[in-house]
Amino acid sequence: MVFDEAFDVIVIGGGHAGCEAASAASRLGAQTALITLNLDLIGQMSCNPAIGGIAKGHLVREIDALGGIMGRVADRTGIQFRLLNRSRGPAVQSPRAQTDRALYRVEMRKMLEHTPNLHLRQGMVSDLLVKNAKILGVEMQDGRRIASRAVVIAAGTFLNGLIHTGQRTYTAGRAGEPASIELAETLKRLGFPVGRLKTGTPPRLDGRTIDWSAFHAQEADERPVPFSFSTDRIEQPQVKCYVGYTNPSLHETIRENLNQSPLYSGRIKGVGPRYCPSIEDKVVKFSDKERHQLFLEPEGHDTNEVYLNGFSTSLPAGIQQDLVRMIPGLEAVRIIRPGYAIEYDYVDPRELGPDLQCQRISGLFHAGQVNGTTGYEEAACQGLVAGINAAALVIKGLKPFRLRRDESYIGVLIDDLIKQGVDEPYRIFTSRAEYRLALRYDNADQRLRRYGRELGLVGEGDWERFNQRQNGIAVARGLLKEVRLRRADSGYSAAVDITGSDLGDSISLRDLAMRPGITSETVERLLPFSARDQVTTGELEAAMADNLYAGYIKAQEVVISRLKHHDSTPIPEGLDFRTLNGLSHEMVERLERTRPQTFGEARVIPGLTAAALSTLYVAASLQT
Amino acid sequence: MDTIVAIATTPGRSAIGVIRLSGPESLKILRGLIGDDLFAPEPNHVYLKQVVRESGEPLDSALVTYFEKPRSFTGEEMIELSCHGSPVILRRVLDLTQNFGARLAEPGEFTLRACKNGKMNLSQAEAIRDLINAQTDAAAAQAARQLKGELAVALQPAKEILIKIIVRLESALEFVEDDLPRIQSEQIEKDLAQVVVIVEGLARTYATGRTLREGLKVAIVGRPNVGKSSLFNRLVRMNRAIVTEIAGTTRDSISESISIGGIPISITDTAGIRVANDSIEEIGIERTHQVIADADLLVVVIDGSTSLSDEDLAIIAQTIRSRHVVAINKCDLVRNSEFENRLKLSSQVVHLSALTGEGLDGLIAAILAPFGEVDSEAVGLLITDCRHYDLLRRTQATLEKSVDLLSRSASEEIVLVGLHNALQFLGEITGETTTDYILGEIFSTFCIGK
Repeated sequence: MVFDEAFDVIVIGGGHAGCEAASAASRLGAQTALITLNLDLIGQMSCNPAIGGIAKGHLVREIDALGGIMGRVADRTGIQFRLLNRSRGPAVQSPRAQTDRALYRVEMRKMLEHTPNLHLRQGMVSDLLVKNAKILGVEMQDGRRIASRAVVIAAGTFLNGLIHTGQRTYTAGRAGEPASIELAETLKRLGFPVGRLKTGTPPRLDGRTIDWSAFHAQEADERPVPFSFSTDRIEQPQVKCYVGYTNPSLHETIRENLNQSPLYSGRIKGVGPRYCPSIEDKVVKFSDKERHQLFLEPEGHDTNEVYLNGFSTSLPAGIQQDLVRMIPGLEAVRIIRPGYAIEYDYVDPRELGPDLQCQRISGLFHAGQVNGTTGYEEAACQGLVAGINAAALVIKGLKPFRLRRDESYIGVLIDDLIKQGVDEPYRIFTSRAEYRLALRYDNADQRLRRYGRELGLVGEGDWERFNQRQNGIAVARGLLKEVRLRRADSGYSAAVDITGSDLGDSISLRDLAMRPGITSETVERLLPFSARDQVTTGELEAAMADNLYAGYIKAQEVVISRLKHHDSTPIPEGLDFRTLNGLSHEMVERLERTRPQTFGEARVIPGLTAAALSTLYVAASLQT
Repeated sequence: MDTIVAIATTPGRSAIGVIRLSGPESLKILRGLIGDDLFAPEPNHVYLKQVVRESGEPLDSALVTYFEKPRSFTGEEMIELSCHGSPVILRRVLDLTQNFGARLAEPGEFTLRACKNGKMNLSQAEAIRDLINAQTDAAAAQAARQLKGELAVALQPAKEILIKIIVRLESALEFVEDDLPRIQSEQIEKDLAQVVVIVEGLARTYATGRTLREGLKVAIVGRPNVGKSSLFNRLVRMNRAIVTEIAGTTRDSISESISIGGIPISITDTAGIRVANDSIEEIGIERTHQVIADADLLVVVIDGSTSLSDEDLAIIAQTIRSRHVVAINKCDLVRNSEFENRLKLSSQVVHLSALTGEGLDGLIAAILAPFGEVDSEAVGLLITDCRHYDLLRRTQATLEKSVDLLSRSASEEIVLVGLHNALQFLGEITGETTTDYILGEIFSTFCIGK
């Protein structure tokens, strides 16, 4: 076969998965091509202009700890930083930021342009070149052939994308961009099980036509918490977002127009995410709710566009205009871009190994929405893992890289995907992690920095910084243990006031810090003057959080190890589930799709009944 | 899958003995047994057939029933043969089935096959094990209840409330930016308390349940010649122990199993406690002390026709820390209120006559009283399995901790550790609840999503 160019790794798609994949592979030493339809739209945020949120912020921190780029770019372009769940424990707090959409693209492109070994190519990949179940490269729509030893597909919603607004449909990858139809056909031809998912986006409004006084302002945090462990401070000026509500008459109008909704007329076959319902869905499924919350989010410093978060819709564009004008403060609003729904193909992620490589074709990796996930952060972390493992195929001495569930949300996400598959767009939640208390946003570096360093994605400066922080946390741990607050001390009565209970004649700061209401600021004030300069607030907080959860993490481990006892029971390789008489056809199908190797793997298959599980358990223990 | 065979009834002589076959060859083996290759029984119909020896001569006449798969206990082809209950005949029939290709079943293998074929779940299988081991009617009824999955059903409300609470707290954590109703801590504490009540109530039935399943060990103790053996005989309704006028006649402990009110009771007659006259008696008394240590309840027998001796008092003092009933014997001769006055404070006292049987009902009631309501028909579901008991206690303990954390305003993620653990424990009895299920509940309960 004749090729126009040759690389080690090809990444298809320049979204959040593709950028991380290309950046990681090239920085690990692989000659990497990033092929995208439009170089000017690298790092485009297709949906809301925000990064992070509960559990998603954890992912960004983990990406950063491993040496990924999303956190750095978000820190440079974030225009409203907020740490969510501040009133709760550190394990469920998570950073979130509105970003300047255009700036994010610019910064991401800049980041990639400055990466050695990374080559940007514009064009549409139409075919995968495969021989003997091994990837050889790709063919472009314009006939170019590019050779590579590994290919990462990160095509987002472009695979067979179909946009719906009202009863109108047209093929597109995003509004205004062509869909990738040939590549989708290629995947089917290669025998991949392909399904259909749906997502949606709300209208973007002209900020000049909004009466802002009708909305409640939401301020940025006074002290923004950055995503990246390398960021010292957030430079972007911070802006406000605004909160408003829908109302019953608007709901009524939506109901009257449901016949024009492709969701309710049955035109849309793909499954949408339940946690990100369209406004039509909200009104229909929660008909007793009198109002639904909306966020008005500015898209950037230099644009009038405002993102109407919470109002995702696929109703006809004309009706959208009427509907938003029923919201107080938006009476005169003009829509710049109407909302729409988009259906796209995804490939069953159970085709993948923990390195995100397809078992069917060696050298082919899938990352992001092609695996049935939703969200920039979910995509980015898969891109990072796929990029590292694509490089591992070609770089000598680099081993396949995988993360465990007990050490990272990334491990949870990938394990969920490849073991259970998806039946709706998959989003990360803290409750998906059985080790939730151990997986904090603030200890992502303690969990993963070492891996990033060993891989070669964490540079000297960051590594030095990490070690300093580790030392600081150790010092903080020592201080908490040794410093005691005595009845005679000046801070004693204030501490009693906060905790609302007597603290005895003397209490260690470590024990005090476990009481509800005691913050790092309280503890900091109680430290002797000489000690205050030894540790930063962040280091003190990390040490406090370690203390706070230690006992609970232990209790959790006891229960998990109970489970593991049964879970390790192997299911015989050749066990024919059809011969287990008690299993319904549906249960057999679920088992056959997953082919669990242990009882533990079977236990987490969605939809498997308790009766089916006990049947399986007995069969497994009978045969082994 | 091969065909297995076993004698299904208890070993020993009885009116009938049942042999069961399960597996694809069952019908073929039956045809061999009765020497009729064309026999094509209607499923679930009973036939009277002659089982023949290898020589062709009749061995026994048996009632045979054919159960067609999957509508049988194991879900496989099954044959049940009701033969005459002679161990010799049953043994011979068993040998014959093996000649025709059956394999002797491992213990519990029928149940295991039933599980494997989805005929029952694990907790039902555990109940079957109890049913087979059940010694008495009440225990059998209890096992039959669990077989119907009543335990899982009884726990369902607790599980549902728990899931609802988890859904509330999880959604507050995960969807902080959504417009969710405020968490009402007091309401959640109240709901949790309700779960604890259900779980604890079930756990508490274990004492009775265990008694039903394992039975009680009752020992009759007292100084020599107060009528222990007479009482023992009365209770077991036969002259098992040798009764004489000679003090110290009972040299060794004798046990017999009886059933009172559906409870299996192992009752033991012991050697009288006194300073031994010879070494054999000494060993007997030593054994008595062992039996005392082992028993769930002691019946201390006192001769009511004489006055309370120092030996009596010494024995009462010795047993005072065990569960015990003082039986004042020979009430047919004389009724001495002196005993009652001296004993009443610390012991339950009954008057009876081992000779006439008078007062025996009172003794039986006193024996059963400490073990709670044991009429299993009346009390409903009882926990009989120590694994279930353990799981319920764990559930209760972890929930109580969560209630405490909640009342001290601990953050939700901490409270949730205990709640998820509790759900996990309950799940080991009732079947698991997955994270996806909980997420699904969240999305159907609350309107989530910006």
